[in-house]
Amino acid sequence: MRILFAGDEQPYSAYALKEAARLAMNTWADVNLLGIQPGGGSAAPAPALNLALTSYRETFLNSWEGEGSPYAKTNWQYEWFPVTEGVLEERLVCRGSKKDFKVHLRLGNPAAGILAEAREEGCDLIVLGCSRGGACQWAGSPGVPQKVAADADCSVLLVKEEQPITRILACLDQTHVSQSSLEILNQMVTIHEAQLEVIGLNPEGGLKKEVYTRLIEVGDYYQARGIKVNTNIAEIADFESMLSGEAQQDLLALWMGKKSLLQRFFPRDWVGRFVAKSQASVLVMR
Amino acid sequence: MAQNKLRVLILDDEPIVCKRLKPSLEKLGFEVDTFTRSFEAMQAVEKAAYDIIVTDLKMEGMDGMRFLQEAKKLYPETEVIVITGFATMETAKESFKKGVFDFIAKPFNLNEIQKVVQRAADKIRSAGQ
Repeated sequence: MRILFAGDEQPYSAYALKEAARLAMNTWADVNLLGIQPGGGSAAPAPALNLALTSYRETFLNSWEGEGSPYAKTNWQYEWFPVTEGVLEERLVCRGSKKDFKVHLRLGNPAAGILAEAREEGCDLIVLGCSRGGACQWAGSPGVPQKVAADADCSVLLVKEEQPITRILACLDQTHVSQSSLEILNQMVTIHEAQLEVIGLNPEGGLKKEVYTRLIEVGDYYQARGIKVNTNIAEIADFESMLSGEAQQDLLALWMGKKSLLQRFFPRDWVGRFVAKSQASVLVMR
Repeated sequence: MAQNKLRVLILDDEPIVCKRLKPSLEKLGFEVDTFTRSFEAMQAVEKAAYDIIVTDLKMEGMDGMRFLQEAKKLYPETEVIVITGFATMETAKESFKKGVFDFIAKPFNLNEIQKVVQRAADKIRSAGQ
């Protein structure tokens, strides 16, 4: 598993880093730490971003008590790096003993940079923090978390605040459930020792048979693996009020698929709408 | 044990995992056998050695930790790669204590597992020279 943590200079990024470190600590994932310098042109991060990235790197690498960190730097090797166009330089670098930990800086549009990093590095999960409330900002730009959640090829965890996750509300509104999404939910439940509740969303006054069947299958999948799971059905109309009310202390998980009922009911950027509306952290699963 | 075509055993109780992994490793030139039940995999290991074992941890009957321990007892030079959907720091540490080559949490992409198996193969081949 490869985790991409994208961080800016805001406090929510420090919360998100803790979550990324916790995930990495348990899964021994390869990790990319990414900073984005909006605009571009400069070859080095701005001082505030540089300070934040340095702090995230040190916090992450110091998360392991004692010996046994999979990221301990022990493998010295020569590697080629581009210095100017058409020129490469051989440099001595030190890599992690068991797992990979990289710090990258990208220049330009934040959402495009995060999505490109995830795609080019083959990441399985993007972790980023974002501000609470409707604006849902990242690095001072509104809409970045929504765009990343909506357009990423992999799952995305948006951390809104430092809070213990005791229950995961996984919402199923269509029949597409990938193996990766089942596995990422496994890991989140295991790491947080959280209760799992899978909610089948249905249009008002109707019960979509395929969704109901899938809900039962998902419930059976987790029960067969020793995970205690509650399955429920809710109407889509009640879902929005649940987001801003009941779900405050939970992790809200949404399955993404092309035949989403939510998409039909709220066609304009429904992922962004729910990401912004949710008071709790959100996991968008693919 | 290290021949030109290295033998790989995949053990995962989810058939979809075996189905994805087998062709991706065969493409790299490995001879691959897959199992969804640990006791059947153990029988295969008892009959003939495998160079590399890729095993899940949480399974009915003999779990992956016990399986890798038994396999390592029979063939200490076999490289074992653990894949798990229920990763914890304790299972990762325990796996490495038992001498696994690598520990990979699910979900993973095929490229990642190909690279790790290839690294294990390189280690086996360089040890055989």
